[in-house]
Amino acid sequence: MASPKSCDIFCTVVDNYGDIGVCWRLARQLANEHGLKVRLWVDDLRSFGKLCPELDVGLEGQLRHGAAEPSGAGATAMPPLPQSAGFASNVSGGQICRGVEIHHWGSVFAAIEPADLVIGAFACVLPPAYVAAMAAREIKPVWINLEYLSAEDWVETHHGLPSPHPTLPLTKYFFFPGFTEKTGGLLLERGLLDRRDAFQSDATAQAEYWQGLGVPPRIEGELRVSLFGYENEAMGALLAEWEHGSQLVTCLLPEGRALPQVLAYFNDVGRASARQVGLKPDLQVYARGNLRVHVLPFVEQEQYDLLLWACDVNFVRGEDSCVRAQWAAKPFIWHIYPQHDGVHLEKLEALRLLYTAGLPEETAQVVQAMWLSWNGGQGVATAWRDFAAQRRVLAKHGMEWAQRLSKNSLALNLLDFLRRTD
Amino acid sequence: MKIAQDLRAGNVINVGGEPMVILKAEYSRSGRNGSVVKMKMKNLLTDSAKETVYAADDKFEQIILDKKECTYTYFADPMFVFMDTEYNQYEVEKENVGDVVNYLTDGMEDICEVVFYDGKAISVELPNTIVREVEYTEPAVRGDTSGKVMKPAKLVGSGFELPVAAFIEIGDKIEIDTRTNEFKKRAN
Repeated sequence: MASPKSCDIFCTVVDNYGDIGVCWRLARQLANEHGLKVRLWVDDLRSFGKLCPELDVGLEGQLRHGAAEPSGAGATAMPPLPQSAGFASNVSGGQICRGVEIHHWGSVFAAIEPADLVIGAFACVLPPAYVAAMAAREIKPVWINLEYLSAEDWVETHHGLPSPHPTLPLTKYFFFPGFTEKTGGLLLERGLLDRRDAFQSDATAQAEYWQGLGVPPRIEGELRVSLFGYENEAMGALLAEWEHGSQLVTCLLPEGRALPQVLAYFNDVGRASARQVGLKPDLQVYARGNLRVHVLPFVEQEQYDLLLWACDVNFVRGEDSCVRAQWAAKPFIWHIYPQHDGVHLEKLEALRLLYTAGLPEETAQVVQAMWLSWNGGQGVATAWRDFAAQRRVLAKHGMEWAQRLSKNSLALNLLDFLRRTD
Repeated sequence: MKIAQDLRAGNVINVGGEPMVILKAEYSRSGRNGSVVKMKMKNLLTDSAKETVYAADDKFEQIILDKKECTYTYFADPMFVFMDTEYNQYEVEKENVGDVVNYLTDGMEDICEVVFYDGKAISVELPNTIVREVEYTEPAVRGDTSGKVMKPAKLVGSGFELPVAAFIEIGDKIEIDTRTNEFKKRAN
């Protein structure tokens, strides 16, 4: 297909914010960096609203123009699109936010003209009427199933394969994100690594960032750790290790599924202790021994990037934050989405093997031990001590790793793939 | 209708109005609870083959073709030859045999089903479970009888390798699921 001009992305919010987070990034990139007219169809606008606060989740049936992509920190600003630009005029109920036309994907789906490029995220089932409209087009849209991210070998042999529709004259293509050249690559916004480098080398910007969060300035020897995860059996042992360790650990904890466990660890004692060490308890700060925990409100994606860039070590979960931690280039521990039959551990090890390839054996083993202990294994306290001791080696490696991955941009690969598709 | 996950080499399905015989089906877990099936299939009208991938729960109309129970007799490159109870012989092209080739061995007694399209033998299907002997595998791991720890094993005859439980030894007979090429258990 020649360069596509329009794109429909369909996303069902399964749980949390990973799926919609990936779709939101991709939508903005295609719209703001590559000039496509993008409609994003989401079944749960309330969840999406956490990532895009300017989205008016109650305004169905109206179309309003929100802000374009923020131009700060090197982002490419695009003017708001005209109403239903590039699409059939019978589309209503959308809102334009940051260059993307956002629609609620409800149970009733009005007949609309499909876009040139149609992306169904994570095998979501598109509305039958929409699929029928795709089949009826003389020039068929390119239909992509954007798959989950995995570092496993088989992804290379599955990436880009066609999936001819069983009954209609349509072909869907499976597009697998991944970490190697034979996969679809990773989402990476233009200029992101430059913005990261600028922030990480600017002590003033970092100090202002911490101040904005209400977190005291760094003191010498302190370790700052972001902690974003699911419920975790190892949580108590890790917090205890930090509490009793020799180094001051400041833990930045975004609101989410890990929060109740952390609060249970502190009880009221932690809050009182926070007062005693001069921290403001109204900011949800907890302290015990050498551990300080600052609970942060749910933040937008760009703000979360800053947190990852500013911390020394990042605990991340799921798919999207795992990738962002790799762009942050700091040592990271991945809490993978657990699956009932343990198959997630194979995926965990697949990424670990790729990520640690070329590192000294001792360091690779330390990463393996830490990741496994954080994903249902044992001995998190020992694993953490060993991991922290390798922090400088891993930080250097993280920079090289991010640089290597940055050569394989998902959005560019996707557009290349379209050009090669009949 | 059959879902992609249940399709196997030898099945014939309708894809966009054309009969496609499945030559190979490979199942993978993609993420969360999603799974995909990579399938090599051949168009019976044009003879063109291609690799495809489907969500494991994608539904297909299976084309029910004539089948005959046969036993495998011999290989005459590039044809595998099967024979029915009335001693009629049917040749199936090597390319169309797909994964079944992993289990075709001289003297095998499994009853196969040769599939016909337009009077021509176009593929062959095995029973869902077959028993094969292990020709070689690393020594058994003492103490592990859980079946969770796996190691590779090579089968007698075809030389096909598959993961088996760590307690399996050379000479053991094992049950294999031919739909997934997975070890099931040690055969009694």
